[in-house]
Amino acid sequence: MSQRRLAFFLLAPALLLVAFTTIYPLIVSLWTSFHDYNLTRSLNMGPWIGVENYTEAFKYDPDFWKVMLVTATFVILDVGLTMLVALGLAVLLLRQGFGKTFLRTILILPFAMSPALIGISWRFMLNPDFGGFARTIGAILPFMRDVDYFANPYLAMGALVSSDVWHWSPYFCFMLMGGLASIPPETQEAARIDGASAWRVFRDVTLPQLKPVLVVAIILKSVFALKVFDAIVTMTSGGPGRETTTLGYFAYQIGFRDYQFGYAAALAYILTAIMFVLSLSYMRVAFRNAP
Amino acid sequence: MANISFRGVTKRWGAFVGVHELHLEVADQEFLVLLGPSGCGKTTTMRMVAGLEDPSEGEIWIGEDVVNDMSPRERDVAMVFQNYGLYPHMTVRDNIGYPLKVRGTPKAEAKAMIQAAAEKVELVPFLDRKPAALSGGQRQRVALARSLVRTPRVFLMDEPLSNLDAKLRVTMRAELKHLHHELRVTTIYVTHDQMEAMTLATRVAVMNKGIIQQLDAPEVIYNDPANLFVAGFIGSPSMNLVEGRLENGGFHAGLIAVPGVGGGNRENIVLGIRPEDVTVGAPGSGQFDMEVYTVELTGESILVTARAGKTQLTAHADRHFRCEIGERVGMSFDVARTYLFDAKSEERIRL
Ligand SMILES: Nc1ncnc2c1ncn2[C@@H]1O[C@H](COP(=O)(O)OP(=O)(O)O)[C@@H](O)[C@H]1O
Ligand SMILES: [Mg+2]
Repeated sequence: MSQRRLAFFLLAPALLLVAFTTIYPLIVSLWTSFHDYNLTRSLNMGPWIGVENYTEAFKYDPDFWKVMLVTATFVILDVGLTMLVALGLAVLLLRQGFGKTFLRTILILPFAMSPALIGISWRFMLNPDFGGFARTIGAILPFMRDVDYFANPYLAMGALVSSDVWHWSPYFCFMLMGGLASIPPETQEAARIDGASAWRVFRDVTLPQLKPVLVVAIILKSVFALKVFDAIVTMTSGGPGRETTTLGYFAYQIGFRDYQFGYAAALAYILTAIMFVLSLSYMRVAFRNAP
Repeated sequence: MANISFRGVTKRWGAFVGVHELHLEVADQEFLVLLGPSGCGKTTTMRMVAGLEDPSEGEIWIGEDVVNDMSPRERDVAMVFQNYGLYPHMTVRDNIGYPLKVRGTPKAEAKAMIQAAAEKVELVPFLDRKPAALSGGQRQRVALARSLVRTPRVFLMDEPLSNLDAKLRVTMRAELKHLHHELRVTTIYVTHDQMEAMTLATRVAVMNKGIIQQLDAPEVIYNDPANLFVAGFIGSPSMNLVEGRLENGGFHAGLIAVPGVGGGNRENIVLGIRPEDVTVGAPGSGQFDMEVYTVELTGESILVTARAGKTQLTAHADRHFRCEIGERVGMSFDVARTYLFDAKSEERIRL
């Protein structure tokens, strides 16, 4: 048996598994998205309707654009803040010497927690009656007392973003720390001697050298943010109204609350397309120098 | 313009001492060369002047200022890093121009200054390249140009020519010498190349294990070494160092006996003599005979290494001298050019 054939046989089980778990559902849902399929009317898939489910989303469903706006808002806020917090933490953690291991260990805890648990904890902590967060904020800012965080669109979005930033910052902090640590220190030293202030060293020398890692982090986080789900289910259920309903959660509601499988499949495919583009760009950046 | 003064400067990492109680006055406009083996604390000394490393003890002065608590940019020094420290994301032009950009030098003026610095180090054709597309020697020249683009109070150069090929190194050496003559900026220059040290230095500080062994003009370092380390470190090929004893002013080591060295009777002596002060001739013609171990032709002369018992000597022979490995030859010392050292303290014994 040639080397190639042997390789193929050894890989075959894994390839089959991927085919059944990833490719098969992708094809079936694509197929579904071109059909009229509403479980409240019939258990069977209805007739082929072409791109009608897609035109429904883009042309006729006012909720769709609202949801797209919410998704964009969430992704931008979430990715931006996560990167800021992660970068800040990374710079501080690299600089300080003592208690390093201890701090780094604590820092990874949020990431080690189950997402559902994070969502529920945050909802409890933000409860105006007994939540620790809400009470503390209320004590400091009296006008915030007795505010229901999940009834206010901005606060609900804020809570959602905060919990996700809290959840993901450690992971990206470690990623950026790796990037920062691989920058040759003498480039920063040279800049200091050349007369640059700490801020300019960071802006002119550190940041440009961190860029490849940062770009990968941003793309990766955008993909993660687009598919956010557990946090919404456990904290806001997409509310108030549709104010925190992102595309993924919307597709879930359409499918499993309203049983409009055809339309839900189309929505899911729109999300998949966006993530596919992002993933492609991720691959291009991440493997730029690979053969 | 500024003098630099080290007052009892020590650098420690835990129990390890990198630089030990350094007292050193570098005069205004001086070109001081730090010379020493790898790991002796040369780079550490430079980094403390630049402000990249805090001294564990002592004060560093630049001009009228104690600079211990000053940031690198307040110190106004320019430094060439041993490993270049170029900005990989900037072109050569932007690398050289960065000190000017940070200082807000007007664009037109900066452009001319960058051009002038690039010309000095023969980098003009490479101005638009990134450092990754340059050879080691070219990168080193970028680092050099970046330090030369402005006129700081102090130049710090950490082996700035170490990666250049022999020819360019000679050219750049001359260029640096001329530049120093022109700008008269106080310079500390690190090298382990003696030629560089000898040709460039106003004074040479020979360092070992974090301690300055001798600080003198280059010719004094060469002709009048203060101790065994300096004697052995300076000169290429290095000085012959033979352990033995003095008997009635004659030097004895194993099968070797050299009369008329002086110094009466003394044990535990190291006698030093440079290869050019040892004469090789026919067996029996010198003070003692030895067996040839290797012969190396250097071009302008012949290096003969010979042995007698455990003692080994290298001599500069005339370039017409011929001998074969294993042959016996007669050797003699120019006793006026011998140096005596105490084998224990390693200090020079002056008669
Ligand atoms: N950050 C550091 N931590 C511990 N030891 C160091 C550090 N930097 C340098 N050293 C040690 O100090 C000594 C002097 O180093 P250096 O000044 O770089 O020598 P060189 O004369 O070759 O330039 C070396 O033995 C080196 O290992
Ligand atoms: Mg060094």
